[in-house]
Amino acid sequence: MPLFPSSHAARRAVGAAAMAVAGVLGVAACGGQIAANTPASNGNNFVSGNGTSSYFKAGSRLAAPAVSGSTLSGARLSLSSYRGKVVVINFWGSWCAPCRSEAPTLAVLSEQYQSKGVRFVGVDIRDSPASARAFVQNFGISYPSLNDPADEIALAFRHTVPPAAIPSTLVIDRNGQIAGRVIGQTSYSSLGNILAKVTAGG
Amino acid sequence: MTDVRSPQAGNGAAAPGVAEEPADVAGETIAGVADETETPRPGGFGAVAWARWAWRQLTSMRIALVLLFLLALGSVPGSLLPQQGIDPAGVQQYFTAHPALAPFLNALGLFNVFAAPWFAAIYLLLFVSLAGCVLPRSFRLARTARARPPQAPRHLSRLPNSVRYETAMTTEEASAAAAAFLTRRHFRLSQGEGWLSAEKGYRREAGNLLFHVALMGVLVSIGLGGLFGYKADRLLVEGTSFADTVTDLDAYHPGHLVSPNDLAPFSLTLDKFSASYVASGPDRNQPESFNAHVSYTAQPGDAARTYDIQVNHPLNVDAVKVYLLGHGYAPVFRVTDGQGKVVYDQATPFLPADQSTYLSEGVVKAPDAKPQQLGFAGVFLPTAVDVSGQLESAFPAPYLPAVSMIPYVGNLGLNNGVPQSVYQLNTTGMHRLATPVQVLTPGQSMKLPGGAGTLTFTGYRQWVSLQVTYDPGQVPALISGIAALAGLVLSFLVRRRRIFVRTYRGDSGRTVVDVAGLARSDVGGGFEAEFGELAAGLKSVHDHDSSPRSEETE
Amino acid sequence: MSDNLGLAQLSDHLLIVAVVVYSLAMLAYAGDFAYGRRVKAAGAAGKAARPVPELAGVGASGGAATPGTPEGPEQPTAAVPPAATADSAPGDAGRLGPLIRGAIALTYLGLAAHVAGVITRGLAVHRVPWGDMYEFITALTCVTVIFFVALMMRYRAWHLGVFVMGAVVVALGLAQTIIYTPAGPLVPALKSYWLAIHVAAMTLSVGIFFVAAVLGVVYLFAERYSRRAAAGLSPANHGIMRRLPSAVELDRLTYRTVVFGFPIWTFGIIAGAIWADQAWGRYWGWDPVETWAFITWVIYACFLHARATAGWRGRRAAYIQLIAFGCLLFNVLVVQTFLTGLHSYAGLG
Repeated sequence: MPLFPSSHAARRAVGAAAMAVAGVLGVAACGGQIAANTPASNGNNFVSGNGTSSYFKAGSRLAAPAVSGSTLSGARLSLSSYRGKVVVINFWGSWCAPCRSEAPTLAVLSEQYQSKGVRFVGVDIRDSPASARAFVQNFGISYPSLNDPADEIALAFRHTVPPAAIPSTLVIDRNGQIAGRVIGQTSYSSLGNILAKVTAGG
Repeated sequence: MTDVRSPQAGNGAAAPGVAEEPADVAGETIAGVADETETPRPGGFGAVAWARWAWRQLTSMRIALVLLFLLALGSVPGSLLPQQGIDPAGVQQYFTAHPALAPFLNALGLFNVFAAPWFAAIYLLLFVSLAGCVLPRSFRLARTARARPPQAPRHLSRLPNSVRYETAMTTEEASAAAAAFLTRRHFRLSQGEGWLSAEKGYRREAGNLLFHVALMGVLVSIGLGGLFGYKADRLLVEGTSFADTVTDLDAYHPGHLVSPNDLAPFSLTLDKFSASYVASGPDRNQPESFNAHVSYTAQPGDAARTYDIQVNHPLNVDAVKVYLLGHGYAPVFRVTDGQGKVVYDQATPFLPADQSTYLSEGVVKAPDAKPQQLGFAGVFLPTAVDVSGQLESAFPAPYLPAVSMIPYVGNLGLNNGVPQSVYQLNTTGMHRLATPVQVLTPGQSMKLPGGAGTLTFTGYRQWVSLQVTYDPGQVPALISGIAALAGLVLSFLVRRRRIFVRTYRGDSGRTVVDVAGLARSDVGGGFEAEFGELAAGLKSVHDHDSSPRSEETE
Repeated sequence: MSDNLGLAQLSDHLLIVAVVVYSLAMLAYAGDFAYGRRVKAAGAAGKAARPVPELAGVGASGGAATPGTPEGPEQPTAAVPPAATADSAPGDAGRLGPLIRGAIALTYLGLAAHVAGVITRGLAVHRVPWGDMYEFITALTCVTVIFFVALMMRYRAWHLGVFVMGAVVVALGLAQTIIYTPAGPLVPALKSYWLAIHVAAMTLSVGIFFVAAVLGVVYLFAERYSRRAAAGLSPANHGIMRRLPSAVELDRLTYRTVVFGFPIWTFGIIAGAIWADQAWGRYWGWDPVETWAFITWVIYACFLHARATAGWRGRRAAYIQLIAFGCLLFNVLVVQTFLTGLHSYAGLG
């Protein structure tokens, strides 16, 4: 004697629906729990990435937003002045260990690709000007860095390809479109590959 | 017992005492198949037959109760052991304190119970069980909501609550009077030749189902939050601002379907933070109030608005809430290196080590100092007093601020790329400079030996720790909770009753009236009294009206 | 705004008076068991001063007697015959001995002192008087006694008073010795109107569940007594058990009490979730107190379902109810005070 006298089809439909919602809940449940009602206690105070890089093919790239501000030396700088060049935007802070670790790589790459029409611009986050200037001098960074204490530049990228960690590196092609991104500390090979493809016209 | 068949209801009714439908929250006599009798094993060995048997078991109330109990049982270790998401330091301590037991418990997932797969399995099964039982019943309720009560049994006197009496009215008048009386009492009637059936309390099943459907709604809401919500933390010093992007957050916990593009694009500046403390009496040093005065923009380019964030008063920006969780002090330091260059000049957040006096600890790192990297570790005291040679803080408000820092030179370890805590100094690559312990008040400097540099304490600011939370399941969860409560109360208050009346000509020539009653749900008792009152009322109607009148007006 | 120390002291004194008076009441109730007059049979039908709502002092029979209709000579036909003579039908107000009437008077007196003590504490601290553990326990025991008095005014089984008074005396004694905290202001996190709502709901429901737990324990004894009587064994405690309601009636009373308290408990959890969302940024975070409140809720839900399942009624359901109350006690006394969490506002240490 059936438990529920409703039709078999209705029961099956209900069962399927229940399973579907349960599946959704299951995905929500496993791992990645939203927890912590107290501030993060690992103390790093920033979200670091793992170095994954992405390359976006020409034709499916999003236009980079307008970026401008004042540099560490006080001059005005705007991304539009680099139209026609490949621009590498690197988000960094002098207090951030992975940023310090990748700084020599960026210095070398910036000089290497200078002749191929690539310009590097740094965006300095959550730093005091004194510490930032000391950092630039220490690592011999020759390219300018924008001072962005309110993190407005990262906010500008929110509709397109946002920098998702510190450090993050974005590569803008000659048409002002976002061609690649590295989340986390970049390496010579990962950023070099992207630059090679973009400068080759890819 | 007389069988009460109900052709309109459509389901095979069982004898009174065993409900013909599965039971309710507050308990009626229960669903026949799953609990009163053993479900017969499927006839064949086919997979479909077994699957059907398993489905029926899963959606039975017994299994649902077992799952519910397991859910509660599974929560117990989650409350007694330190949990990774809430107290990671406590988990570490547990590992060091119980080196043999801890890995075993960890393998069972007991340090992160509420995210563990087995816990998820329990509530997912519960959800399926609930859905599989409640939804068909809801469909059935929708279909039978307007059904009439079944025919009155033939021998009413066999029912446990029954009354028989005689009246001077004719059988038709008696039936009509009874019908009018019961209709006034909100019963639903069906009538026939010499008999009358009345039932009320249909809303009980609706309330019961509403409660269980609402429970499912709560589960779904929690799932929504887990998928589309996110939580982030940020420590903000007075005078600085931050934007809601991943690059500008201290910690970021996204739901599974959340990407950095989805974060609400607000920016917030901490203009001023003020706290007041109890100055005297037995509760001295206890905080009285906190107030974070902020200005914010919901989108870049919007006009800035101001708000006072306090405990219990979060800021609401575009459905994202910003909460004030804690506060502390950030002394401002300027570090000059050995070459005379200013390599550090900012407010440094220190963490309170003592919650009642706000004595705080922190470090300063100057990794770009030349010729050697400089680091300092020490304390900040809001109201520094000397208590028999020991430096202590007497009060959490900054009446006499002072710092005392220990200098180190060497390798801070930042250049290797491994993130470090900003509150701790890794001194393995450093050595401490030999200088006497100095207490600095605002404006004073400490000169390092060997020309290594200078540390100046220029002042202090306060910081707040903010939590940014977005949970789209919040409002649905609240609505589900309220609906569950409403359904619960409804199912408790409404009682299902059936009253049967038969009128016929007796041996003495007068009309005999048989009244009987059934409680479809009488777990709490009391139906006898209620039936007694009802029967008395019916009788008085039949007694008072002995002259032939065709209609009893309401 | 400074606290009024004079009023705070008055509150403390009133509550001590309440404990003392309750203890005397308990002695009087117990004394009635031992020395009270044996009141001879009063038939259930028609002799009571007021009709007794379905409580008759029937020891062993399962069904309840149907009370006669107030007017009219017709007797209802019933499957179970009306109750046989009971030794002292608890419905007979006129038949209560002097000891128990004294006990009832002392209960009222103690309750008056208790209520006054809670109110003066609230006046002393200029807020609702349930802001820390001590105030919570004094307030909820007040709810317990009020609920018990209301229940007994309806069902007239005053002899249950000895158990309720005993439990309340123990709870209040605990509150005034180990858990006591002097009157003081609230920490900022508690300064919200949700304190009045959430903790009020918890106070009410825990007070009601307290009554249900006491009734549940008495039920277990009554059930054992009636089983032994039905088996023909000479039962112990005959004098006490005779004066108490039957096991069936106690079972129903317990059930109705839990049914009364369960929606309030549910509402308290919802209100707590709303407040947690405002204060801590999330409506549910598996904080130990939240977790144990959830566990308690689940086990009371199991009790409600069990009561309706054949084979789980009676004794097993009573055990479940007591387990649920045990979880509740664990939550209030142990989890809130000893386990770290956001709920640590007990005011201790």
